[in-house]
Amino acid sequence: MIGIATTFFWIFLIAFFVSAVYSVKDLHFDFGEPQMSLTADNEMVFSLPVSITNKGFYNIGSFNISTEILDKEGFTILRGSTFIPVINKNDVATITHNMTIDVNDLLQQDKNYLFNDTELKIYEAVSMRIADVIPVQASTNLSMPWGAPLYNFSLGEPAYAPYNFTHFRVTVPISFENHAFFDLVGDMRIRMYNSTGARVGRGRTSLEAYANSPYNGFIEFYVSMTGTTPTGRFEVFFSTSTFDYGPLVIPYG
Amino acid sequence: MADTNNDFKKKVRNFTFKALKATVKGILVYGIYFVLWMFLAPVSEMVPGFQQMVETFVMVYIALMIVGELTSGTIFQYFFSVAKALFVIGYLIFSLNGGILGLTFQNVSLMVDLRLFLAIAMLLSLLGLAKSVLQAINYMSEKAEYPPI
Repeated sequence: MIGIATTFFWIFLIAFFVSAVYSVKDLHFDFGEPQMSLTADNEMVFSLPVSITNKGFYNIGSFNISTEILDKEGFTILRGSTFIPVINKNDVATITHNMTIDVNDLLQQDKNYLFNDTELKIYEAVSMRIADVIPVQASTNLSMPWGAPLYNFSLGEPAYAPYNFTHFRVTVPISFENHAFFDLVGDMRIRMYNSTGARVGRGRTSLEAYANSPYNGFIEFYVSMTGTTPTGRFEVFFSTSTFDYGPLVIPYG
Repeated sequence: MADTNNDFKKKVRNFTFKALKATVKGILVYGIYFVLWMFLAPVSEMVPGFQQMVETFVMVYIALMIVGELTSGTIFQYFFSVAKALFVIGYLIFSLNGGILGLTFQNVSLMVDLRLFLAIAMLLSLLGLAKSVLQAINYMSEKAEYPPI
């Protein structure tokens, strides 16, 4: 009797295992192109469209996609996951794995994201329970280029032109390349300090740099003739739709 | 003289019957393996060494089964039955790496958790092992109870 029961269970176990493994053949994943976009709230959204076609014999349980974005040093910038409790057999599940990044938070961690291009590491893991009982996990490491919105930002040498008896009109060239995937629209404010640290002038200009394009412009403001020295420093503040940053200190002279 | 001749004939007939039974069982198990392999074949393309692993298992299992069948009616039948159960336990633990299978191809790491499957297979094998041990004890007891006169 034990022999019959054991044989029955063996047959059941092997048949179940083989059919579950065979079912994997009829499981198709279609990962779309990962995309980054900007929401109306100026948050960056990382989207990964995924389509799962389950033509196997069993349901797929606890389907989970998790993504971790890390910087070059391996510190976690963002972690997120998308969970589907059940994907029924002969069913197609289409989901978009979304993760939101607050650019201001990102820049608070490291201002290099503003000025330097870098590579972000992405750890992607997909886990599921085949036939609801066999846990399977597939993971991979990818890298994604990060384009700095103010790449190679520089201010040229200030050019002084007499405005009246007491003030100069100062023109400072601005140049950078927007390597980011989003357009940079906002304001740039500048404060000019002389060599003793006294503020001699300030100005504001609007910025409009399209994604993946260079920007060349200038800012004009007025400074007092008496306080102006050949050397000093600029303090630059950015206030854009995506982020706020400042002061960026750039010496001149 | 006639008794000895009959005895020999009986032994030959018994052995032929056992050999036939063992052959049929062996062919049956190989047939099942052959059918199941058609389903598992796609996996062997992804998992290197999978076919060799399964083939080795089936070969040794069939060999132990045939030898066990040929020695049926003796205490060795139970020895081979125990050996078969121990082989299944040992081979499953060894080949399934304790239930966690890890594979890497290209840049993708795959991890399959077969601990539940392994646990059930272990339990069934242990049941078979216990059954064989009990049968061996029973066999020895019967021998002891009815000593040949």
